[in-house]
Amino acid sequence: MDFYYHPCSAPCRSVIMTAKALGVDLNMKLLKVMDGEQLKPEFVKLNPQHCIPTLVDDGFSIWESRAILTYLVEKYGADDSLYPSDPQKKAVVNQRLYFDMGTLFQSFVEAIYPQIRNKQPADPEAMQKVDSAFGHLDTFLEDQEYVAGDCLTVADIALLASVSTFEVVDFDIAQYPNVARWYENAKEVTPGWEENWDGVQLIKKLVQERNE
Amino acid sequence: MLDFYYMLYSAPCRSILMTARALGLELNKKQVDLDAGEHLKPEFVKINPQHTIPTLVDDGFAIWESRAILIYLAEKYDKDGSLYPKDPQQRAVINQRLFFDLSTLYQSYVYYYYPQLFEDVKKPADPENLKKIDDAFAMFNTLLKGQQYAALNKLTLADFALLATVSTFEISEYDFGKYPEVVRWYENAKKVIPGWEENWEGCEYYKKLYLGAILNKQ
Repeated sequence: MDFYYHPCSAPCRSVIMTAKALGVDLNMKLLKVMDGEQLKPEFVKLNPQHCIPTLVDDGFSIWESRAILTYLVEKYGADDSLYPSDPQKKAVVNQRLYFDMGTLFQSFVEAIYPQIRNKQPADPEAMQKVDSAFGHLDTFLEDQEYVAGDCLTVADIALLASVSTFEVVDFDIAQYPNVARWYENAKEVTPGWEENWDGVQLIKKLVQERNE
Repeated sequence: MLDFYYMLYSAPCRSILMTARALGLELNKKQVDLDAGEHLKPEFVKINPQHTIPTLVDDGFAIWESRAILIYLAEKYDKDGSLYPKDPQQRAVINQRLFFDLSTLYQSYVYYYYPQLFEDVKKPADPENLKKIDDAFAMFNTLLKGQQYAALNKLTLADFALLATVSTFEISEYDFGKYPEVVRWYENAKKVIPGWEENWEGCEYYKKLYLGAILNKQ
């Protein structure tokens, strides 16, 4: 299974952790997106949207990280615990995945990217979106150990990749006690956390080097 | 009993109305007037702490995020499973298109139009964000090459979500005529998707409520 990725990308890291949880071996293919490698014809042929992560499973090419997560569990999971087949349990996992993409990670894109990419100061309006997203996640986690029910699912893994990436700007997660509690536990129980954290540290290092 | 909290002008809400019609489901429709702040009322926040529409409550089970609702309805009520087939690879392609719809195509609408329409102090159109719309349509055009439908060679949930989105661009007078595959797909989807008329009625309602100012300016 070929996996096109970059360690700085949170969505890529969510796939790496999920594959590890499933015991699926990925043939890791680093794509230097900062150098435009994703625009090479051989990659555009695999994924016309030329984004990462992209997975090619025996000729079947798929992208969008959250679609890859559910594909891996449906195809290779020994059981359905990471992505339940019960329609209601699955609906909650899907809701959290869409929340991760459209709300939480989107707030990162709007508020944090400009800070680390272009050294812009934090925009209060955009930071308010971050606060609102973390506030909602905090509510979801009230009296819950995991984000979508009583066991670890791909929703936890996707959100773990996103939430940890906020640490590149020393964002204070402790303001959201339920998120902080969930985060500490998720770090311990999610396979591949260390590799995810290496990716976050790499972003920090690249930003520091550029700013020096 | 399926309680459906919605507004007809909302694109994500309209995708569910069309899907419910295709599945032959009766929705108990409840309008949530966002402009009047009805979504912030405690009884609604209790159902959906994120207080967004659409929200579906199926016999006590509350779920939101339109694309999660589409999948839920198909898995629970689509007897032959044709709108969301069980094969993991077919599903993955449908899911890819649904995520594309949210974060690329619809998001490009949000980036360009929302600051002009919905902020307290309205902002002028930003040509850079218009380019994001062009890029998203160009990508959708590429994805549709050689395909009659958005994800597979038959109608799936992806077509419902994308039809709601693309029709919102049409009512906003974004000209996607230069994307022939999109035009071809759109003309066909309008014909084959049940509830298209209600979707378009929602578009007209949206135009009347919100688009007047920017469309008159153009």
